[in-house]
Amino acid sequence: MIFTNPLGLYLLPLILVPFFLGMQQQNDYPSLTAVPQDGLSRAITWALRFAGSVAIGGLILGLSGIALREHKIERFGQGAHIVLLIDRSSSMNDTFAGRQPSGAEESKSAAAKRLLKDFVIKRKHDRFGVAEFSTAPIHVVPITDHKGIVLGAIDAIDRPGLAFTDVGRGLGMALSMIDEDVLPGSRAIVLVSDGVAVVGRRVQEALRTDFARRPVHLYFLYLRTEGSNSMFAAPPPGAEDTPQALPERHLNKFFESLRIPYHAYEVENADAVKAAIDDIGKLEQTPIVYTERIPQYDLSRWAYGVAALALALLLAAKLCARRIRFVPGGAHVH
Amino acid sequence: MRTLGIDFDRRAALLLAALALTIAAIIGFQLVRNQRIADVLAVIDITGSMNTRDMGNPRGSQSRLEAAKATLINFMQDVPCDSRLGLGVFTERISYLLFGPVEVCNNYDALEGAISGIDWRMAWEGDSYIAKGLYSAVDLASSLKSDLVFFTDGHEAPPLPYTGVPEFEGKPGAVKGLVVGVGGSEKTPIPKYDDEGHQIGVYSETDVPQDNRIGAPPPDAATREGYNPRNAPFGALPATGDEQLSSVKTAHLEDLARRTGLHYAELQHVSAIAPGLLSATEPRLLPVATNMSYVPALLALLSLLVLYALSLFEAGTLRNLRLPSFGPTSYSKGTTVYGA
Repeated sequence: MIFTNPLGLYLLPLILVPFFLGMQQQNDYPSLTAVPQDGLSRAITWALRFAGSVAIGGLILGLSGIALREHKIERFGQGAHIVLLIDRSSSMNDTFAGRQPSGAEESKSAAAKRLLKDFVIKRKHDRFGVAEFSTAPIHVVPITDHKGIVLGAIDAIDRPGLAFTDVGRGLGMALSMIDEDVLPGSRAIVLVSDGVAVVGRRVQEALRTDFARRPVHLYFLYLRTEGSNSMFAAPPPGAEDTPQALPERHLNKFFESLRIPYHAYEVENADAVKAAIDDIGKLEQTPIVYTERIPQYDLSRWAYGVAALALALLLAAKLCARRIRFVPGGAHVH
Repeated sequence: MRTLGIDFDRRAALLLAALALTIAAIIGFQLVRNQRIADVLAVIDITGSMNTRDMGNPRGSQSRLEAAKATLINFMQDVPCDSRLGLGVFTERISYLLFGPVEVCNNYDALEGAISGIDWRMAWEGDSYIAKGLYSAVDLASSLKSDLVFFTDGHEAPPLPYTGVPEFEGKPGAVKGLVVGVGGSEKTPIPKYDDEGHQIGVYSETDVPQDNRIGAPPPDAATREGYNPRNAPFGALPATGDEQLSSVKTAHLEDLARRTGLHYAELQHVSAIAPGLLSATEPRLLPVATNMSYVPALLALLSLLVLYALSLFEAGTLRNLRLPSFGPTSYSKGTTVYGA
């Protein structure tokens, strides 16, 4: 219970007024000892005092903006806590064919933006966080159930990016965001990138221990540009098979060696991105506790309503009241 | 007036009025007012000099970055709901958009988390071309159609070349807002961190570039000691200076604000940025429906109180003031008896 205008509560002592002052017109009467004790009359007197008090109190509570506080209810649903780890390197702003986006073809980041926004809107009970990486890992939005800010952050991903792609430290940032999230539920990282750089040995070891410490599902959405390396294909005999030559293939191998639930998607167009995102949606259906916000509920109308009922009672009493009239001769009539 | 034995006197009138007004309050009516809201993109400088601890109360308890973040969180509390806030960071020479403006009240804790999450470790380069960063922040705000608040200490690294501040190519005043100078006026050492993020002392004179030796040498270079047009165009001596110490560069920031048509505010002198921002920007008005049902409710309360007060003035005063009778005593004087 809260009051949106608590200053009005200073008026609350006024509810005592009906107990001290009468509402009815008063008539002189020689002596009340002549009137017999009457239980009904006394009950009505008290009822009218209470009615007056309730009317004043109801009006004051209404004025003070009495309301039920916004609160949260925990419910069970299907979903997960998902950190979107998004590549903001400048190559993301090219099309899947590796060209500048034209009217006919959208850029990889524009496609990712559109489809990720759909995903976030559709997943009602999930909590999302956003981290980005390029030359440095960037903390954008902590894991939250406020969809508006997550959508705002996804909206920004097709802005001009930076030069490099430091996926290792980006993953470190995503893991630290997961550590800060305390609510129970299944955790997932969705890594969206269009090509990565070598993850250094030391960063690999740090990630390996970090991933071993907590259960995290990892999804790697590789937006492959036409003609670039495939993540799955083994190189032809004689070609170099080193992390420097084929960083995506070796990153994939590294993720597979982590022994965590891991899915890799190599996509070459927007439809494939959509299929991959739908697949992630199907896989992330573990039971979670999510919070539902019950917005603040204004009770002032109810307070005014109670006051109106009490006033109606007072009015009825007033209309029933009769004046004592003295007529010559000593007898009185009603 | 008396009809059917009922007295329609002033008491009846007051009661009727109170009831009618209360019913009006239940039905309620709304007045649409224009409320002034803020729609602003905040860009925070996260370069190394922002780690200098010369802010807060007592002075030195907060780094400039912490002070800027705390100011922004306070700003969210100072603006009305429906205001919108976006966030970006600046380092090197561009401002990087984290997210466009989102509504403040509904996203409050997420916004607070996002602001708290800003860290100097997110900086991708050590350079700090403030002028270029501010110009790109103006571009960002212009594309988002929002106002701009740019938090920086104005410490250019490397120092500006002799040609001075690069020209602003946009239209000055097209984007309105504030440049907020963060930092103290005294020269303070800048903390230095190792790869793991542990502080390992402060920057020394030889750690930072003291002179901008990119581009053409200044015209007076020929008079410097050891000048050689090919081998030593800036002179042979290493540059000296106190670029390793940092203070808020008020004059430089005021100049930048003038070039871009923004206002300037210095965080060590103002406690909150909301008033400054509102005076620096065009009013953005949002029609907000305000519930006015308190007006009839207040009038109803007033008529009810007048009704009770009547008994004080009608026939004597103290005679009619009666205390509630709790015991089985006789009626106090003047009680009307019903049902007789």
